[in-house]
Amino acid sequence: MDLWARLWQSRPVPAAQFRVIVERNTALTGGYFQLDLEAPVSTPIAETRAGQFVMLRGEWGRDLLNGRAFSVLDVRDDRHFSVLAKVFGRGTALLSEAEAGTPLTCTGPLGTGFPEPEGDELSLLVAGGVGLPPLHLYARRAAEAGAAKDVVLFYGGRSEADIVLTEAIESAGVELVVATEDGSRGHKGFVTVPLLERLRAAKAEGRALRMLSCGPTPMLQAVRKLALELGVPAHLCLEEQMGCGFGVCLGCAVPVYGELPYKYCCTDGPVFDAREVRWS
Amino acid sequence: MSRLACDFGPLSLQSPILTASGCFAYAQQFEQFLDLKRLGGLSTKGISPLPRRGNPVPRIYETASGMLNSIGLENVGVEAFLSEKLPFLASLGVSIWVNFFGTDFETYVQCARELSEGSAGRIDVLEMNISCPNIKKGGIEFGTVPEVAHKLTRAVTEATDIPVVVKLTPNVADIVGMAQAVAEAGAAGVSLINTITGMAIDVRKRRPRIATTYGGLSGPAIKPVALRMVHQVHRALPELPICGMGGIISGEDALEFIMAGATCVQLGTINFSEPSASVRVTEELDALLDELGFENVAAARGCLESLDPEPPHQEESPWR
Ligand SMILES: Cc1cc2nc3c(=O)[nH]c(=O)nc-3n(C[C@H](O)[C@H](O)[C@H](O)COP(=O)(O)OP(=O)(O)OC[C@H]3O[C@@H](n4cnc5c(N)ncnc54)[C@H](O)[C@@H]3O)c2cc1C
Ligand SMILES: Cc1cc2nc3c(=O)[nH]c(=O)nc-3n(C[C@H](O)[C@H](O)[C@H](O)COP(=O)(O)O)c2cc1C
Ligand code: FES
Repeated sequence: MDLWARLWQSRPVPAAQFRVIVERNTALTGGYFQLDLEAPVSTPIAETRAGQFVMLRGEWGRDLLNGRAFSVLDVRDDRHFSVLAKVFGRGTALLSEAEAGTPLTCTGPLGTGFPEPEGDELSLLVAGGVGLPPLHLYARRAAEAGAAKDVVLFYGGRSEADIVLTEAIESAGVELVVATEDGSRGHKGFVTVPLLERLRAAKAEGRALRMLSCGPTPMLQAVRKLALELGVPAHLCLEEQMGCGFGVCLGCAVPVYGELPYKYCCTDGPVFDAREVRWS
Repeated sequence: MSRLACDFGPLSLQSPILTASGCFAYAQQFEQFLDLKRLGGLSTKGISPLPRRGNPVPRIYETASGMLNSIGLENVGVEAFLSEKLPFLASLGVSIWVNFFGTDFETYVQCARELSEGSAGRIDVLEMNISCPNIKKGGIEFGTVPEVAHKLTRAVTEATDIPVVVKLTPNVADIVGMAQAVAEAGAAGVSLINTITGMAIDVRKRRPRIATTYGGLSGPAIKPVALRMVHQVHRALPELPICGMGGIISGEDALEFIMAGATCVQLGTINFSEPSASVRVTEELDALLDELGFENVAAARGCLESLDPEPPHQEESPWR
């Protein structure tokens, strides 16, 4: 099968709940950590598309009830995958301390992925903070499929320490544009500044373009604004409070334009067309 | 016969483990995780005559051993439920409890009538959620005034041939009074408890954690309150079938409810983190009944014994 077709199959993969153990927990700079996870038996994780996520939960007994959502960073095979996280509250704090061998329960893969590119359009990937994983996966897969030249990763953070896992992007031959608010690495300021320059340049060349973005909401709002102003299609990977992750608690509503006022982040998303998101 | 088979009033259940309204959607999403045919039954998301869109976000927030929700009773409405959801549910061969509600007297009755007319024998129980604000009475919940609940139950039971189980709210001073009021009005049983109204605050933003300020608390945090209410109602009305729920996550939790007087139980919040929990809990309950020497669920029901009394106080110990 054509590799692109395999990586972006539109058939929804049935999710499963399965046990994994932490194979490795690697502390990175800026408080980020990467969990490499291993399942004892084959799981549907090999079918994960960039943008899909898993719900992870430790053996937490009767407290910290629900799983925590994490985008899939990397999939090695049907038993091995990774996530990238940062301590946010109690659940992520417990996960950050998980040692090799710690058992976790994983539900996934869940949600939709980023849509397939049309023809040879240039995909500008815009990542910030814990929004890196889906775009990291997308960029590496594009490179694997021989389309490294059709993607550029824009990656923003507060300072140098917030910029992680860039070697894999560079070695895949994908162009990387970094911006930090304090200027300690790459452009100084928000990542949307170099992004706007590139958008203008590519538009002037008449190149077909789109943006894929995941990160803090203010960044997504800025990307959406650019997309609407310049008429560039954009897909945003959103975060919402999640209870279940598979469409039953109705907790993860995302306000949208259209016939119905809400869609669901976990099943209709987390990837949404920038035009449909109802943000003021 | 299986140890787990039990009767809830006129209904025969293959197991006392059901899943709770709002925590199991319309069941399709769970097919990928478990064999739905092993359930004793399931209660659907609450249905209203017309589709409802739900509340603004954030709608949920996790708290100590529990979660707050304010989903807003979002649902597909009677018509879409009957045509799109019920056929799948009926194909499972387990007890189908359709949870429903209205916004005033008339819509409650209308909803029950429309569901029964479209049921064609596929709905086993109408589970009436009376924890809803009565729009015509300034938003006071139907389930907090015994006379109102009585009248509503009477009107609904007269409009349908399907057994009506009334789901009570714990946000009342006298749960026994409520149970009595609906039992006398013709309810086939009661489900208890619904969520307990609660709140959480983000001190940094000085804002409530969920958009509607208050929400319903569920999960293990509410289990002691739920057990107490099941026990009180069972003691006062031993003949009334009770479906107990609130924070059940294990077979032992389920047996606590049964010993307190529940005939069957429902699992709610646990389905979010462990979609196949109902099967695990069923197996745990079966093993526990066996271990403790109960022949069946009915033998364990309400078998709670009181603690031995303390010997009377004496100043002088007889054991000197
Ligand atoms: C689709 C999706 C993908 C995500 N991918 C990543 C990722 O790759 N790496 C990463 O570090 N984080 C990711 N997040 C955010 C991550 O899920 C939250 O940081 C985490 O749930 C916080 O849990 P906690 O116990 O530390 O915080 P607490 O505040 O203690 O959590 C309380 C509850 O709120 C929920 N919650 C709190 N913040 C969020 C949030 N931002 N999004 C969803 N639920 C939240 C928790 O799940 C939990 O149920 C993602 C979120 C979503 C929705
Ligand atoms: C997200 C959510 C939605 C719910 N929706 C309904 C509903 O539509 N109708 C209803 O009667 N109860 C509803 N409930 C209440 C549950 O059915 C159950 O009574 C309660 O959660 C206690 O059980 P638990 O602790 O096992 O969750 C809902 C609960 C949750 C958490
Ligand atoms: S997280 Fe439960 S419906 Fe989306």
